[in-house]
Amino acid sequence: MAGSTISVPLEVHRFRPGIDASPTYQSYRLDLAPHTPVLTALLRIRDETDPTLSLRYSCRSAICGSCSMRINAKSRLACETPVGPEIERHGKIVVEPMGNQPIVKDLVVDQAPFWRQYDRIEPHLKVDPRHPMPVGQPTSMTPAEVERFRDTPRCIACAACYSACPAVADDPAFPGPMALAKLYRFVVDPRDAARQDRLVRIQTEGLWLCLRCHLCTEACPKDVRPSERIRDLKEMAIAVQGPTEHGSRHVIGFERNIREGGTLNEMKLVRQTYGLFGMLPQLPHGLKIWRKKPEVAHRPPPIEGKEELEKIYAALGTEEPR
Amino acid sequence: MKIAYYPGCVAKESGRELDLSTRWVCRALGVELVDFAKFSCCGSGFIDEANETLNVAINARNIAIAEAAGLDLMTVCSTCQGMLTLAKLRMNDATVRAKVEGALRPLGITYRGTAKVSHLLRVLVEDVGLAAIKSKVRRPLSGVKVGAFYGCHLLRPADEMQWESPEEPHSFEDLLTVLGAEPVFYRGRVMCCGFPVQFVKQETAGRVAGRQILDAKAHGADAMATPCPLCHISLDAYQKPASKLVNHPLDMPVFHLPQLVGLALGAAPEELGLSRHLVSTEPVLAKLPAAPR
Repeated sequence: MAGSTISVPLEVHRFRPGIDASPTYQSYRLDLAPHTPVLTALLRIRDETDPTLSLRYSCRSAICGSCSMRINAKSRLACETPVGPEIERHGKIVVEPMGNQPIVKDLVVDQAPFWRQYDRIEPHLKVDPRHPMPVGQPTSMTPAEVERFRDTPRCIACAACYSACPAVADDPAFPGPMALAKLYRFVVDPRDAARQDRLVRIQTEGLWLCLRCHLCTEACPKDVRPSERIRDLKEMAIAVQGPTEHGSRHVIGFERNIREGGTLNEMKLVRQTYGLFGMLPQLPHGLKIWRKKPEVAHRPPPIEGKEELEKIYAALGTEEPR
Repeated sequence: MKIAYYPGCVAKESGRELDLSTRWVCRALGVELVDFAKFSCCGSGFIDEANETLNVAINARNIAIAEAAGLDLMTVCSTCQGMLTLAKLRMNDATVRAKVEGALRPLGITYRGTAKVSHLLRVLVEDVGLAAIKSKVRRPLSGVKVGAFYGCHLLRPADEMQWESPEEPHSFEDLLTVLGAEPVFYRGRVMCCGFPVQFVKQETAGRVAGRQILDAKAHGADAMATPCPLCHISLDAYQKPASKLVNHPLDMPVFHLPQLVGLALGAAPEELGLSRHLVSTEPVLAKLPAAPR
């Protein structure tokens, strides 16, 4: 009912790089209606209690993508995260800046690394100059062509996925979920003439570094499902170029490995991925594993009905070994 | 109860201790496991990346095998659970289903989509029940602090896996509590183990695994436990290289989920294959009475 409020304890990340030795968490407590967005709570703190609190926001309506931050460890938009369920689950609200980007102050990060990755995938239509788009006229697409975009045009570039991504955290060379979802969006665009180049390039520019953890898909406020589009890009990249990288060789090796016996031959997969000589650096630790688990070197017996599997492979168009 | 047991590739070979302990625990709890020599690999997410439809088809075949026997399926691997669940979902798409059925029908395979696919963790918590497990505990894991490590594909994408909160799951911790252990809550428990890039970039795989182990350690865990044999490979078999990569000595015993259940129910360590781990589980065993009560 209107007027019923709950007491909301907040712990807000405060940090001035170059001035503070390390970040601190400042405690506040507000009485708020359970449906109040965390963003509103933070603005009340800034406007009524502490004008030095810095945060980034604009539309307050989950459209602009400005107010991404980590709320109780999850990357999301502050404007569409109500305080009530957070208090129910955690008893308090811990607010921190997005991950994987340097902190400017308090809850504000420098998004340059995120935008650099976005630029790198060349997020614009590349039209074949021999077939320019008609000027002053709309171009048309079939419903099936539109369907192929899936939900990627909904992306608002809020960077919640980038903030949540452990592959970005480990390796800044990884383009990150948003850039890859955008790349997908151009790869499937029937007007784009650079599909093949884009797919070839991304194989060596980080596509295979995705950890497939789906943290991006959980973080995304617009259900763009970046991890699933990254999966699609992998399948399309292999289709245009074949397996050229460790990542794609592993995928194709795995697919063939299972076609042969229906169950995984672990040692063979290592060879299929690295090649015979490439296996050598794996040997010292591999031997340690083998001493405890000698089955890693076994050739497992094929499953019963392995010919069924072969027929399924044949029917569904998997090509012969490339 | 009777259920089709889908062990997955690793539990049949290099992770045999998982199979051993699963069978021990299910025997002790009256869960009858039915084996099918026809089950194939689930594709482990890799076949999905090579050919999405093919991946759905091989898993629809796996599900159909259990359905033909009128049984639900039980997995012991987060990735198998993820792939089989995903196949069921994709089969709801008429176009995918038509393609897959086109490949299965000539082989006399009928997919109905009626079999439930549940991970051992869920079977223990929801079907066997925590109270029934508690009543059979003969060697409480008292004084052992355990960091559960869920494995991504048991939790995410949450709208597809349709079970626990991907942020605050609790079934594993509920189970640990019933076994007498003290669950340790740490952020890493819902994070990635690094396994999918073990063959792409070992440094990343090692660092990602190492960070989760460090996180569990920083929260006071004596041991970790996982429902996924692939996470077990990352966390146990590759813990030493991970230790070098995160520049920190690591000596964290990592249990398969049913091994801890088995210990609490009174199994001897050798019945659970504990000697097959790369990181010794002795420090944990030393805290427990050797003989169950």
